[in-house]
Amino acid sequence: MCLRMMGTAPAQPGFREKRILLPLLSAGLLLWSAAPARAAGAEQHIEKLFNVTGQPVVVIHNVANGRIEVKSWKNAQVDIVGTQSSNKIGFDIEQVGDRVDVSANVLDASAQPLELEADLQLTVPEQTELQLKTETGLIYVEQVTGDMKLESYGGDVHLKEVSGYIIVKTTGGSLVCTQCAGKLDFSSIGGNAQILQPQLNSINLMTTTGNILFDGDFIRTGLYSMKSGKGLVEVRFSSTDSFDLKAQTATGIVDNQAAAFLKPDSHGVKHIANKFAHGLFGTVGLGLAKVELSSYSGTIRIMKRD
Amino acid sequence: MQCKEIELVLEQEGLEPLPEEARAHLAECRECRNYVADLTSLVDAAKKLPAEINPPDRIWLSLRAQLEEEGIIRTPADVIASERVPFWRSIGDFFRSRALATAMVGILIVAATVFQVRRDRATLIEPPVQPAKAVPAPPVQKTSAPEAPPMFASAARALDDQEPVATGMILASTSPVDVSLRENLKKVDEFIADCERHLKEHPQDELTREYLSAAYEQKAELLSAMIERGRSIN
Repeated sequence: MCLRMMGTAPAQPGFREKRILLPLLSAGLLLWSAAPARAAGAEQHIEKLFNVTGQPVVVIHNVANGRIEVKSWKNAQVDIVGTQSSNKIGFDIEQVGDRVDVSANVLDASAQPLELEADLQLTVPEQTELQLKTETGLIYVEQVTGDMKLESYGGDVHLKEVSGYIIVKTTGGSLVCTQCAGKLDFSSIGGNAQILQPQLNSINLMTTTGNILFDGDFIRTGLYSMKSGKGLVEVRFSSTDSFDLKAQTATGIVDNQAAAFLKPDSHGVKHIANKFAHGLFGTVGLGLAKVELSSYSGTIRIMKRD
Repeated sequence: MQCKEIELVLEQEGLEPLPEEARAHLAECRECRNYVADLTSLVDAAKKLPAEINPPDRIWLSLRAQLEEEGIIRTPADVIASERVPFWRSIGDFFRSRALATAMVGILIVAATVFQVRRDRATLIEPPVQPAKAVPAPPVQKTSAPEAPPMFASAARALDDQEPVATGMILASTSPVDVSLRENLKKVDEFIADCERHLKEHPQDELTREYLSAAYEQKAELLSAMIERGRSIN
């Protein structure tokens, strides 16, 4: 009706008004039509704070699609903020002693994927043990010390300044671990792993089709194993590092870009490569750490950082 | 009760009825609850498999040989020496001896290998046969996937049996998780096929064996995840 009225208005001035009003009216109509849907699936927030005495254990099972973010603070408290996209999912949160369990559950099986989004934001004491499991969302943990097991099907896992025994399992999700310390186990089918500036003394990385990048120092007496079925395994070390290297691939190639730094084994051990594999053995420095790289059909690249 | 004791109880007494102590532990321990849930899903999946499968004789032969070789079973000695034994039975006993059974299996494997090698050579020499136009191409995975190496044969068979059950449970789902699971299953299957193909040419390649073994493990975990997902969405 409004448009028809404008159509009868004088030609020149009305034409300009119409051009301005048309998009506004369209947007208004769109918002008006979407309003009931938004009301039904309105975002909901929940926040709970738990006091803890010792080192807490936080267990999260997020069956919805969403992000889990964990950061630390100095308080002896666990703060949990949950955000859900609809009322078709619900949070169960409970505390038993120093253990806090959080799970996001699907309340309506007919819900669409977009209605099943639930993000969790946690603030925990610095010394906290974590067991997180999600399906497709990102897991992000920052500045937490303690053992952690992080599992995801399709979501990525990003860790920053965490330490402890870290176990990460994904199906297709990738791991980015920046300034991590302690021990790290990673296994995935399609996910990549990037280990940047680590202080890890034990690494066990295994991915079937993903790539692996290790960019950092090898701690003396550390054990490092990195395997990729089809992907690239790249190691960038510094000239002050000290490690024994064993690199093997069945059908791939070993790209040694640090030949000048790699000496034959200095411990008098004669390595015999698997006769079916292409291998490279050598020592950097005194050979204090042990580094094993392998790929079935991918490339193994060894290079020194600038 | 501790987690290890739960494993022991499940191993000895099965899934149900669980003792009171075990139930009390399960109520408190999520890890064990997940473990029991996994077992339950496996048992359920196993129940869906056809009950009457008569494996071929060669399976029994190789199984028996392997069990005897590992000392798990033994061929019973003649109990009544004085009893008159027909000559054909003594021949049978002779053939049932452990060494000979092993040798027989060895001969069978060699024969199968020779047959396989000859067939491969023949395939290389013969020009590729063009498929008839009317016949639709079978699924790539099944035709291109070579047979699993003997040491992995049972694992491969078990996984192959489980695969249709697991994929069937999330077949209709279009959620990103299930799509991701299916994509990754395809990746693992392709990788397994690649390793199997390579091992057929280089059976002693330890590195490839390690990768194949790890890939089977990943596939088992993936199928288990699919079943778990399927149970939650169905």
